[in-house]
Amino acid sequence: MSSIESDEEDLTRKQRREQAREQRKAMEEAAAAGAARRARLTQLGIVVSVVVVAIVLVLIITSGGGKSGIPASKAEKNSVTHEIAGLITGIPQSGNALGSPTAPVTLQYFGDLECPICRQFTTGALPSIIPQWVRTGKLRIEYHSMETATREPEVFKTQQIAAYAAGKQNKAWYFIETFYHEQGEEDSGYVTEKYLQGIASQVPGLNLAQWTSDRNDPELANEVKTDEQAANNHGFTGTPAFLIGRSGGALTKLEYSSAPSNPGFVNEAVEKLLKA
Amino acid sequence: MSARALRITLIVLTVLGLGVASYVTYVHYAGIKPACTAGESCTKVQTSRYSELVGIPVALIGLIGYVAILASLLARETETTRFATAALTLGGFAFSAYLTYREIFSIHAICEECASSAVIMTIMAGLSVWRFLRGEETLAAGPLAAPPGVHSSAGEPAAPLSSAS
Repeated sequence: MSSIESDEEDLTRKQRREQAREQRKAMEEAAAAGAARRARLTQLGIVVSVVVVAIVLVLIITSGGGKSGIPASKAEKNSVTHEIAGLITGIPQSGNALGSPTAPVTLQYFGDLECPICRQFTTGALPSIIPQWVRTGKLRIEYHSMETATREPEVFKTQQIAAYAAGKQNKAWYFIETFYHEQGEEDSGYVTEKYLQGIASQVPGLNLAQWTSDRNDPELANEVKTDEQAANNHGFTGTPAFLIGRSGGALTKLEYSSAPSNPGFVNEAVEKLLKA
Repeated sequence: MSARALRITLIVLTVLGLGVASYVTYVHYAGIKPACTAGESCTKVQTSRYSELVGIPVALIGLIGYVAILASLLARETETTRFATAALTLGGFAFSAYLTYREIFSIHAICEECASSAVIMTIMAGLSVWRFLRGEETLAAGPLAAPPGVHSSAGEPAAPLSSAS
């Protein structure tokens, strides 16, 4: 074998070794990349599983009937009636107003009986506002209608008129309070004739025949319309919305800065007006 | 799309989402009318009981989510931060999907701000998952940059910005 042939053979062997090394390296890199990709997919799979479980939990929490206040039993209805009676019995009522006609401060409360935020205000803030300011003769609260949460305008009109019809017997606030306490699942179509009759039957001393007849009074439908116009004129876009001021004087907008169940914003405004 | 462009796109989308979430959170606490071209539908969504989850405004949950995503994007890019961004945006996407479901099937009204946020979050989830699966390492200029030659936590050498692809 010549020296030239030997050199060529060495070079070929070197090249083959080099090629084999490069192939091995490429395979190792491909295997490492594949493993990394599989690891990332596994990590994402775990995240997706956790997210799916979390969303299912959120759906269960928000779909539950826990938020609905519609009582399942007569005992629950009695409990609501008892609670409301304890809060407002003995306080003068006139039409849709609660409180002494000579109270120095007036609060106009614009609400939709199906509005859940109004429910928060009514069941959260009013139980402290009413004993402190209304029962003591310092504040008079007038309820007015503004459609927000109720989907069907006709249903809205019917339910608000039902409350005002109770007001013809000076019992509107029993009806309003009971409705909010027993408010059903939003947009579930729970406001039926039977439901309204049920609320009315819980109002102590309400003459049901008179109430049924008064619901057809066109004056009440006009009142709901007038309330809506007033809400529009004041630029209200959501409920609950409020106007407050010295009785007989100009009323100004009152906005809540924290949760509507916190009575602080009303307390502050009333204190300020009483000092003025 | 280069890794840098992808990261910048995600940051821009996060800032947009942060703006929307901040506005909706402000509107929620101030009790004012949200800007809405679709009549009262935004107000209807805003006053719905689904506007809060266990007493916490969903707008605030969104705001916190966007802040967390922004933090994961502004941190030095590693395998871990890419994973964090992907996980957070997937969570945000799922939550947006839940809220959109509630708007359509429970409240029967669409809030424009919520829909904008849902679109932003959907794009971000897609981009951040793609970014995570690509597994690229990049360095950005300025405050996002790491010194040349710095190695990532995954042990990969950090590519200079100009060569990032």
